[in-house]
Amino acid sequence: MNMANATTAPNTNEYAGDEVSAIVLDPGYSTTRAGFAGEDVPKSVCPSFYGQSDSDAGPQYSFGENAIHDPRANLEIRNPWGSDGIVEDWETATKIWEYSITSRLTGARPGNPAKNGLNDAHGDAMDVDMEALESLEKPLEESPLLMTEPGWNPQKAREKYIEIAMEEWGTPAFYLQKTGVLAAFASGKASGIVIDVGAAMTSVTPVLDGMVLKKGVQKSPLAGNFVSNQIRMIFKQAQPEIPLTPHFKVASKTQVDAGAPAQATYKKFDYSPTDSFGRHEEERVLTEFKESVVEVWPGPGRFSNGTNEEIAKSQPGRPFEMPDGWNQVFGVERFRAAEALFDASGALTDPENPRPKDEHTIPRLVQAAIQQVDTDQRPLLLQNIVVTGGSTLLYKFNDRLAYEINAIYPSTRNKLIAPGSAVERKYASWIGGSILASLGTFHQLWISKKEYEEHGVNIVEKRCK
Amino acid sequence: MASGRDVRDMLGLPADADIPKTAIQKRPKPAAPGKKIQGVAREVAALYGERPPPVAVYEEKKTYRAKRQSTGPAKKWIQQPFLNPARNDGLVLKHWKRKPTAAQPALTNGEDAAMEDVENAPPAIETNYDFAKFNIPIDGPIFTDEEYDAHLRTNDWSREETDYLLDMVKEYYYRWAVIWDRYEYTPSTKQEPPSQENFHGDPNHALASLPFAPPKSRSVEDLKARFYEISAKLMKLRIPEVQMDAEQYARYEILTKFDPHLERNRKNLAAALMNRSMDEVKEEEFLLTELQRINMAATRLDAEREELRSRLEAPIPNQQIAAGLASFQSSQALASLFQQLFQQDRSKKRASGSASGPGRLSLSGADIIGTPTSAAAHQHSGGQMSSHANASRRQSMATNAQPPTPIRQLSPQTEHRFNVSTHDRLTSGVSFGADKLLKMRQAKSNVQTQKIATALAELGVPEVIPIPTSKVGEVFESLISKVGKLLDVRKVREKEEGECRILEAMKERRASENQGGEGEAGHSREGHGERGGDGDVNMGDGGSTTPATTAQREVQDSEERDGDDDDDDDDADMDADADGDEDDVDADGEADDNGDVDAEGEEDDDEDAEGEEFDSRAPSQSQSARHTSEAVSARAVSQGHKRSASVFSQTSNKSTKRARK
Ligand SMILES: Nc1ncnc2c1ncn2[C@@H]1O[C@H](COP(=O)(O)OP(=O)(O)OP(=O)(O)O)[C@@H](O)[C@H]1O
Ligand SMILES: [Mg+2]
Repeated sequence: MNMANATTAPNTNEYAGDEVSAIVLDPGYSTTRAGFAGEDVPKSVCPSFYGQSDSDAGPQYSFGENAIHDPRANLEIRNPWGSDGIVEDWETATKIWEYSITSRLTGARPGNPAKNGLNDAHGDAMDVDMEALESLEKPLEESPLLMTEPGWNPQKAREKYIEIAMEEWGTPAFYLQKTGVLAAFASGKASGIVIDVGAAMTSVTPVLDGMVLKKGVQKSPLAGNFVSNQIRMIFKQAQPEIPLTPHFKVASKTQVDAGAPAQATYKKFDYSPTDSFGRHEEERVLTEFKESVVEVWPGPGRFSNGTNEEIAKSQPGRPFEMPDGWNQVFGVERFRAAEALFDASGALTDPENPRPKDEHTIPRLVQAAIQQVDTDQRPLLLQNIVVTGGSTLLYKFNDRLAYEINAIYPSTRNKLIAPGSAVERKYASWIGGSILASLGTFHQLWISKKEYEEHGVNIVEKRCK
Repeated sequence: MASGRDVRDMLGLPADADIPKTAIQKRPKPAAPGKKIQGVAREVAALYGERPPPVAVYEEKKTYRAKRQSTGPAKKWIQQPFLNPARNDGLVLKHWKRKPTAAQPALTNGEDAAMEDVENAPPAIETNYDFAKFNIPIDGPIFTDEEYDAHLRTNDWSREETDYLLDMVKEYYYRWAVIWDRYEYTPSTKQEPPSQENFHGDPNHALASLPFAPPKSRSVEDLKARFYEISAKLMKLRIPEVQMDAEQYARYEILTKFDPHLERNRKNLAAALMNRSMDEVKEEEFLLTELQRINMAATRLDAEREELRSRLEAPIPNQQIAAGLASFQSSQALASLFQQLFQQDRSKKRASGSASGPGRLSLSGADIIGTPTSAAAHQHSGGQMSSHANASRRQSMATNAQPPTPIRQLSPQTEHRFNVSTHDRLTSGVSFGADKLLKMRQAKSNVQTQKIATALAELGVPEVIPIPTSKVGEVFESLISKVGKLLDVRKVREKEEGECRILEAMKERRASENQGGEGEAGHSREGHGERGGDGDVNMGDGGSTTPATTAQREVQDSEERDGDDDDDDDDADMDADADGDEDDVDADGEADDNGDVDAEGEEDDDEDAEGEEFDSRAPSQSQSARHTSEAVSARAVSQGHKRSASVFSQTSNKSTKRARK
């Protein structure tokens, strides 16, 4: 409830909202989103990558955007997520999540400054000293917590979630909801089929009346990271090879002609930054490239079909400049990077990166998901195809998706629901959580601390369906 | 408008001494609260003086936002703890609520104390939560063990699984698609109330102790069938069928009538429908549009037929109608009737095109071809109509042919100007004017076609007419019809000529046999007495009345001198007679056609003379040629064609000449 003129009580009939200062936490492979329920964007968006530098005193962790882009000696950049979209390293995952909550939310919470214990020196620190935090009161004693999870999260992981929330953070109430459902809510739909193309995973989730149809949930690794990899390959296979220089290596650059070697002065380090750091920095450049150059072949037909490549060639190219000043106009290559999302045979391959599986392409995922749904519900779902996730921001992604789906289901009315703004597209599941956790009727669903203590971790299986 | 006092007041100068103090104090007061001017700054409002203008000069909508009224200190909001009655674990959450003010201050004295109270040990936990009312549990069928054993037991479903199903239904609020999605029943080994946790016990034991097969995958239909069956049976147990009210019985019917096989088949069909290929969908689309097109055409045709029928049903003062509707019962009769009406209408059109002025006194067939209602109305009104009304009705008729669209009526002039034409019947498709013209040139027989062609060539009509507009088409059509008639006439003439020649030859032979005088007398008698009654004379009469050219040739053959005179006569004929002919036969009033070519005039001349003869001869042989020629000449005279008068009297002239000879 961030109304400008908040002197009057909101009319409850109007939006059925009732805010209990709940916090919504939406962890993803690339970023972790956190914020208060009822707000329209997450206040805190932290990278899910963390820095770890081992010293004699044990590992030192650094979190947050600023810390992990700072080239320091033996700073390894890691990610607690596995490549299958499930958390692997629970310990650091907990720390990252906690950081994302405490760095921006509970620290700045209005109202009870004495209670939150985060108003002291540690609040704004980039590197949060975890020991110091642990000595304080538990960070979430005041706020119920709604967390999001991927649709295929195993029971073990779910139990771990509630355990962390209850034991480590001391939240009075907890709930776990699937990202698919929340993304649908964010678009105002209770039923639909949610296509989420994130960083590590692409998932297709059929949702009916706010409930995931579990049998229909499909996932594949062809997502943002995969596209980044394809771009790397494009760079490598180009003649001559396109140099990929991340920002941190460049001190200053001078303008050069397109295709000419870069003339830049490079920073000198008396130590060599780690490979993982370099790779993570390169990833930033690749994301930039994705945002500004990569284009999805919009159809009709696949990119490799007939004269499509010729048509693509005739279209004007897009220029891209590397941090070191090297630049070039990218023509037809820019269509190749994301083609494999829709057509596995369009993927660039090398010995390390084999050809992706056909059934991992988005059209096949949708088909498989629909197949697992009761026949009567299929048309309804196809009328509400919710598109979400950062990688769907690829240029012309939706055109191609619409074409592919219409090709599979020509006889139904298929409608894509893709929020126009990038923020809503990237943070759809958080926004849905924000809506859900601020509804008056939702508060009966929370798993309270008392219930958790009574039933143990497996209560999450019973309650959060 | 500010008075000096106001200005002084604004500037803070002391008020004028002679004005009483009370007056000064009073004035601003009633102005301010009494008639508060909105949307105008206070200072500006003050300039209005004590009498604000009667009409406000500001827009109501553009008023400035009302200032926040500060009615005291800022409202306090607190995090009010509340208990949700929809929960049973006593979870206390806090939501933001306006701090209760004067209403319940009894608990605390100061605000600080209240804050502390709320924070430390919330004394007033809200217990009636607004949103708890939305927590609506659903009720499913409930039964006792005895009831289950007596009525609900089946081999396919265990008691345990049945309970599980009922729980699922409750859990997911009858959302069958979700229930089926989440349905994961694994029989437990223990005979305890089923729970969603699965106890993986000894399967052998399970098989041994339970009288049903291990878990099978159930389809939505299976689940529904079981659930509906239970519901129906229980419903019947609770309320016997006879006691059910309508609604209950309807529900009972639905429950008992559920057929899983049917449902499964339906779903298979639905899935097949959804999984059609693009081509199939396109084909269906195509067929659907085709169907729509056909349907539209069919309805149009039906409407046209309906229209026609309704016209025919109107009471028509017609001989055939008089003979009874029975005469219209065959489709042939209907078609001929339509044809007849159509023809009448056409001739009507022509007549009204040339005729100007005189109203008609009698109903003709064309009057009958109107909309049934209007036709009826016209009959009642006695059928007296101006030609204008007539024309407009014709138009409405034309519009009726294409029923629904009302067409703006145009006056004949504008119709002409914009080249609008009305048609009684249109053939479908596009036709070219040139084709039409070409078709007209073709007669049934080749010989005739050639004859027409030569005639046209004679007339100087080119093979291809450059711009075949509809008007040209009309003119050409009339020309062709004339040519056709003329050709017919020529044929007859030639026949008669031949006969004449034979007769002449016979006569000559006879004359040479019987000596001249008698022959002459016979000839003159022929000319005057016309139909004397005997066959010979009759034949001779035919010869005598042959047109000028025939006569001319005849004369040329026998006597050179007379030929000249005849020639003169003939020339004089041409134009005049052509005119007469036009008026007579075609009544078209197409004056421009008349002088066309000499050849035509000549032919016309022929035709006229002979045509008359035929006309008169056909009905009854007894009618005298003189009578005819008299009538014709009288008419010709009345039309002011002196020359034609002479022409028409030609026959007699000739005969007299011959007589003289
Ligand atoms: N404008 C853009 N164009 C193309 N790709 C983009 C754009 N913006 C972000 N991305 C990509 O989107 C991905 C991040 O998307 P998102 O935030 O939805 O993922 P996530 O939720 O963190 O990951 P996951 O859902 O897999 O756990 C990254 O791979 C990033 O490169
Ligand atoms: Mg995501």
